[in-house]
Amino acid sequence: MIVVIINNVIILAGIGGFLALLLVLADFFLANYGDCQIDINDKRQFTVKGGNSLLNSLAENDVFIPSACGGRGTCGLCKVTVKEGGGPLLPTEKPYLDAEEIEKGVRLSCQVKVKKDIFITIPEALFSIRKFKGIVDNIIDYTYDTKGIIITLQDPAKIDFQAGQYIQLQSRKYPRSKQIVSRAYSMANSPDRNNIIELIIRKVPDGIMTTFTHEYMKEGDQILLTGPYGEFFIRDTEADMIFVAGGSGMAPFKGILEDLSAKDTKRHIVYFFGARTEKDLFLVNEMKEYEKKMKDFTFIPVLSQPDEDTDWDGPTGYIPPLLDKYVRDPKNTEGYLCGSPALIASTEKKMKELGIDKIYYDSFG
Amino acid sequence: MDINPLVILLAAIFTNNILLVYFLGMCSYLSVSREITSSIGLGMAVFFVLTFTSGINYLIYHYILIPLDLVYLQYIIFIIVIAAFVQLTEIVIERFSPVLYYTLGIFLPLITVNCAILGVSLFMVIRQYSFIQSVAYGAGSGLGWLVAILALAGIRSRLKDKYLPRGMNNAAISLIITGIMALAFIGFSGVAIIQ
Amino acid sequence: MKQTPEEKKIQERLQPGVITLDGFLGKDKRHYHEIITEDLEKLKKLNITREEIADRLQYFTDLALMNNDEEEIIDYIYRVRYITERGKIVSPFMDKGLIAKGQITLENITNGFKICWTPLNISMIRNHGFFEGKGASHRLEPETLIKAIF
Repeated sequence: MIVVIINNVIILAGIGGFLALLLVLADFFLANYGDCQIDINDKRQFTVKGGNSLLNSLAENDVFIPSACGGRGTCGLCKVTVKEGGGPLLPTEKPYLDAEEIEKGVRLSCQVKVKKDIFITIPEALFSIRKFKGIVDNIIDYTYDTKGIIITLQDPAKIDFQAGQYIQLQSRKYPRSKQIVSRAYSMANSPDRNNIIELIIRKVPDGIMTTFTHEYMKEGDQILLTGPYGEFFIRDTEADMIFVAGGSGMAPFKGILEDLSAKDTKRHIVYFFGARTEKDLFLVNEMKEYEKKMKDFTFIPVLSQPDEDTDWDGPTGYIPPLLDKYVRDPKNTEGYLCGSPALIASTEKKMKELGIDKIYYDSFG
Repeated sequence: MDINPLVILLAAIFTNNILLVYFLGMCSYLSVSREITSSIGLGMAVFFVLTFTSGINYLIYHYILIPLDLVYLQYIIFIIVIAAFVQLTEIVIERFSPVLYYTLGIFLPLITVNCAILGVSLFMVIRQYSFIQSVAYGAGSGLGWLVAILALAGIRSRLKDKYLPRGMNNAAISLIITGIMALAFIGFSGVAIIQ
Repeated sequence: MKQTPEEKKIQERLQPGVITLDGFLGKDKRHYHEIITEDLEKLKKLNITREEIADRLQYFTDLALMNNDEEEIIDYIYRVRYITERGKIVSPFMDKGLIAKGQITLENITNGFKICWTPLNISMIRNHGFFEGKGASHRLEPETLIKAIF
């Protein structure tokens, strides 16, 4: 009897063990890709363990490729150009690439597995993106739905950016939100104050992130973010500038004006801020200070529906019709827009009609 | 038994179709037949696994289990072999053809729980096939499964935009179609292959 | 019912707190396939395709976008307002690309029917025939929808 039992156990264990060994060997020889080298722009090289996605391998070496879906292959933002070593194009990548991109070797880095030495090119700007740990230092109530948030950076302790760029803030889980999300917010401080990040966030109904920032985030909380991103910064010319913003769109201009004021710019700047009522205005005094300090800066708040019982004597209605009066020379004017998609759409249309062709705004908004 | 392996193969596709006559392997068949491309992928993977596991299981049964009088372990051993083989297949495919690996996607590991695979190995034992006969039986069953799922996928794709009574969608109509196809395939058993 | 992992993922992404705070299923306990199938039957009875509905909603959305987040009357009888929001989100169905946020409300002045939708609704209707679960904040009942926008 005992012999039978032992026999059984040995055979079962033997066959199971043999198959397991076979799988381990197969995994070791076939699925092991050894150490691979990633070469970026012919300038930087990293050695990584093969078998991971290009996106993750790069992130482990502090090179952050933009991604809105966390590497699941659904947002199409993580494109990099693979010169060689990327393997065949996968069916999961095809929907996101057009014929020209495929020819140039553009791939989705979250789908490309690093199996051998790989040579890629990415835009230079991506090199300066870092992951930051910070502490929420101060939460300011600007209006009934808009808060200012000051984050002191801990690790790294400084951020290198241009005024007007944005960061991706990470939320935490809370009762109604089961997942961590990340959202883009423009920085409202100038690059001189590089040990903090200042944000202006407006509460959005049904918004996972803004419910977190407005109801659960407290001063003293630790917070994670990555950045800087974006092409929304002042171009280094002497052209006139028209700023147009609404709501949280004030953020990049606050940082930009702080920076321009410190540099003592002589450029002609007109800043239109659109809101519905006086209750939606904030930082008006700071803007008036800049009008006094700077050579040629005018701040024009525009209300579309001022309360009847206030004595609003500023412009009413919408911003686009007012541009006629303030554009001096369309060919020598740059437009900078930051606000709701509706504001950007109608303002861009008007600016193009006026002959302004240099118009800048962030693509995430 | 002295049946020509080729006859076994043909019989496994038509008269002894593992899915339409023995009703094994129904679950992934019902859910995957929603799309033709994935049906082809899964069908081919099942064919591949069936052909090899029936051969491997034959060898283990006749050269390990019988000599050591451990025949009753066949259920556990066969399943372990099937699971390991499917895993091995995944690793090999991922290494040598990543495009195929991504096209098959999740269907590869899903094959392990396909009861038709275990069924074929057990039938092979009961019918006392030889090695060649076992492999032919496995291959034929695989092809038969592929034919069945492809047929259902084709029919379902035609039904996609058509009106069906409430409650008849998905599983209900698939089972009815399968039943009708089974009736047709059982009709094949009247066919005799004269050697 | 058995789902492929992709379907399971989609069902998860439709839940509250994953992509939006309220989610897309409301009080509906059914699987999204069943919701889509039932709504597809309704569309057949109303003799309209999901592309036609999506195109019509897109028509109002495009016009309302240019109106500075304010209300306007389109084609004399539709009171439409598109409150835009910054940022973009992904579709729960893992379709490619990012979709604008915001909410569009429409009131048909002749019959009083009111509906509201988001740009994501248009994408989900066009690509999947998904009108959201019953009780969801942007559930579009096909019958009400047709009466309001056509």
